[in-house]
Amino acid sequence: MQCGWSLLGPLEWVHYVNKQVKVKAGNGEELRGWLFTVDPVSASLVLVDFRQNGGSLVQVVLGHAVEEVQILQKADKESAAYLCTLFKPSKNCRLDPEELRRKKRSIQNWLEKNQIPVVAEGAELRVAGVLTIRAPYRPEDCCSSNQIILDRIQRLMQNQPDHPGPPPETEPGLIPASTALTS
Amino acid sequence: MAAPVPVLRLPKGPDPNSRGFDPSSPRFIALCRTSIPTSAAPEADAEELQREQQVRSELRENFLWCLHAMTNKKVQFHMHEKVKVEATFGASDIDVLNFQVSDLQTPIGVQKEALIRSQDVISLSFDM
Repeated sequence: MQCGWSLLGPLEWVHYVNKQVKVKAGNGEELRGWLFTVDPVSASLVLVDFRQNGGSLVQVVLGHAVEEVQILQKADKESAAYLCTLFKPSKNCRLDPEELRRKKRSIQNWLEKNQIPVVAEGAELRVAGVLTIRAPYRPEDCCSSNQIILDRIQRLMQNQPDHPGPPPETEPGLIPASTALTS
Repeated sequence: MAAPVPVLRLPKGPDPNSRGFDPSSPRFIALCRTSIPTSAAPEADAEELQREQQVRSELRENFLWCLHAMTNKKVQFHMHEKVKVEATFGASDIDVLNFQVSDLQTPIGVQKEALIRSQDVISLSFDM
């Protein structure tokens, strides 16, 4: 049962983003929250409710179940900024240039040690011609259109000894040099 | 957390894909559109289309970040008939038609791995 909401389109949906909305959903549920985004594929709404103790409750209402969406109020600048940072990794770069250079060198050495071709291009590292690592050279700073290489390089970076990043989720271990990159 | 117990599977229907996941089944086609079409009408000019595409990709990227934040978290699914179940979120497919979850707590036991159809879900919630 799809009401008009699903058919509005991105240019209409974006008007509801960063506003506090009231959503009437299929089973008589009424949800409220600050709208973070609307998925253009399923018209699903992502609502965030800020709690007293600092945490947040996130509710995703599936597009097919939406009956009515009403705007209650606009977000102030603080809430809008907070919404932005809630889901995305922080882009804060607290390292000074010297520290960044040291980090870049360290990552480059580690990749070379694992027989991965890497060249420095300015402040970025270019891996095998298909993956780029930007400052501050954490696994999440890798960009590539090749899913497999991205995954392997990220795991490799996470497994670097004395690396201050989070532990890998699955079993660790050096990727054998001969299979480091799929050909 | 309760230990997983084996859950009796309901008997299969007449055809091998009777549970509604088969993309060519009439049920699937009737209920699950693969994606919402663009508003590309002949009268829409190129500039508006470009703007629409830009907004579309920003909205989608934010939604993907939300899905990413949900991974491995305990999520409550609010389904039809006021049914609420809890599970650990795994992943969604590209069209947000199915959700892969683990340790699905159901009234008849804990299902270690499960696929939930998005058409059966009204909303889902989790804490951040």
